[in-house]
Amino acid sequence: MRILRPLLPALLFLPLAVGAQPAFDAPPERSTDGGFTLAWEADAAVVLEQASGPDHADARVIYQGGDTSTVISGLPDGEYRFRLRAADADDWADQTTVTVEHHSLTRAFGFFAVGAIVFLVLIGAILRGRPRD
Amino acid sequence: MTGLDDPILPTSIAWGLLAAFSVLWVVLGWWLGRRNKTAEDHMLAGRNVGLALATATAMATWVTANTTMTAPQLALQLGVWGMLGYSLGALGLILFAPLARRIRELMPRGFTSGDFIRLRFGTFTWRVFLVVSLIYAFGWLVSMAMAGGVLINALAGIDYRVGMTVILTVCVIYTLLGGLRAVIGTDFIQTIIIIAGAAFIAWLTIDKVGFEAIHFNLMEERPELLSLLFPAAIMFLFNNLLFGVGEIFHSNVWWSRAFAFGRNVGFRAYLFGGLLWLSIPIVAGFIALATPALGINVPAADMVGPLVAAEVLGLTGAIVVFIVVFAALASSLDSLLAATSDLVTRDIYRGHIRPRASEQHQFRATKVIVVLLGLLTWLAASYRGEIPIVGSLAELLYFTGAFVASAIWPIVAGLYWKQANPQGAAWSMILGSGIGLASYFLIGFYVAALVGAAVSLAVMVLATWLAPRPFDWDRLAREDTHAMGSPA
Repeated sequence: MRILRPLLPALLFLPLAVGAQPAFDAPPERSTDGGFTLAWEADAAVVLEQASGPDHADARVIYQGGDTSTVISGLPDGEYRFRLRAADADDWADQTTVTVEHHSLTRAFGFFAVGAIVFLVLIGAILRGRPRD
Repeated sequence: MTGLDDPILPTSIAWGLLAAFSVLWVVLGWWLGRRNKTAEDHMLAGRNVGLALATATAMATWVTANTTMTAPQLALQLGVWGMLGYSLGALGLILFAPLARRIRELMPRGFTSGDFIRLRFGTFTWRVFLVVSLIYAFGWLVSMAMAGGVLINALAGIDYRVGMTVILTVCVIYTLLGGLRAVIGTDFIQTIIIIAGAAFIAWLTIDKVGFEAIHFNLMEERPELLSLLFPAAIMFLFNNLLFGVGEIFHSNVWWSRAFAFGRNVGFRAYLFGGLLWLSIPIVAGFIALATPALGINVPAADMVGPLVAAEVLGLTGAIVVFIVVFAALASSLDSLLAATSDLVTRDIYRGHIRPRASEQHQFRATKVIVVLLGLLTWLAASYRGEIPIVGSLAELLYFTGAFVASAIWPIVAGLYWKQANPQGAAWSMILGSGIGLASYFLIGFYVAALVGAAVSLAVMVLATWLAPRPFDWDRLAREDTHAMGSPA
């Protein structure tokens, strides 16, 4: 402890010096169900924007505050661009792009059909069962 | 753990509620279990539970962290289909009604689901079944402990690990004190709290936000959630149904109740319990669809239910949600602790380690095992987010889906198909779990149970057709109280 004492002031200020700029934390690249979680590292409140074009022309703020993640869901197929800045800064600090490509309906209904068959066989097996036969 | 900007429930109120309900459950547990003298009293509540208590415990146990916290999460992630799909979990309870009657008739002196598999299919299949069953029970325990921590963190900002530890400790203590009698008694009170609280929250959400605002904002910001052709949600529909069926059909939570309910009670209790349960996920899930209209940030998907309720309803709402979810969690955690400790005591400890253990010895072992299970659950839940599959509640839960869905057919065929053979039962679980897990990682969490159940069915049908082996049903009744450790 005595050895660490002279270093304490420096250790206290270290996080501030390192994490000044907010940055996305391992953002996903693709989603097959239109949803994902965006997480970021930041020391203070941030502004998060979502847009569909590369020029961010249709950008809208989807979160502003001190949380460090947000759950996105229900997006149709497309490329979605997100950018992040500190709430008290003007310049964007980080950006990322996520591609949403849903499973095909053929695949979806294939699984649906398999499920329906298993369920019907199950109902049949229980209904046909006779106690002590 | 994601920090929350502005928790709605003041920390002092949260601690007050936590303390009050903790004392209530523990005192009730002690009071209800004070006459337990034998392992059979402790494990099966004297085998004479009546219809009202039986229906309440079936319904309350099935309203879990999964219902009150995961139903909103699935509505947020998979939309209207996610919400409706979740309510199909009721079919698990409803379809178990005829099974409960058959189980009680075939094995009037049985103790666990493991007893049935051992006598029906022999040692190898029994061991495979125990692995499947314990993986699921542990996953469910951890998911509920996590839900407790998430709830307290979301509403009151209390550290996740602190909240999780308190809830788990309370449930371990009253399960320890009262056994199944305490579990069923507290379930009755918890059922009333859950139904009244969920209805109150849904009514206030509709009243304050309104259907139009919810619909408009969803169309603007998250349109797929309203789409009836949402591919992942379509894939999820039967997955969830079969997951629920698998959970109930194989788990000792439901078998121990089938043994504990009085004669002719099981069928009606599971039927009424399922019908009562049907509306709970719709009511609980619906409020998540109000997220865009309210402009709430959801930092982690499994926090959405408590966050929306607290935002819409303010302090009163936060208190109601806190009490409802605490009741839901406690009613399931206690059941699972009790049923899993029974399974470990009967099938692992007595079945594999000390076959000659006396009644009193088993009684003590059950209690030690409850504490050990609590400790293991605490360890795993402490690492939420740090172990890959222990991520969100839904991810963890559906990971176990591949295992439980593959156990549907060994149970159904074991109870109804005279010609079903042991190898078919064992391999249907092994291949169903393996291929189901592969689909979890290759396709998504929303297909693991579906694939597991389909593979398991194919293996079971094929094996029964290729190598039929007649079974004498009367052997189950004759041998269900005999020494363990060897196949019938």
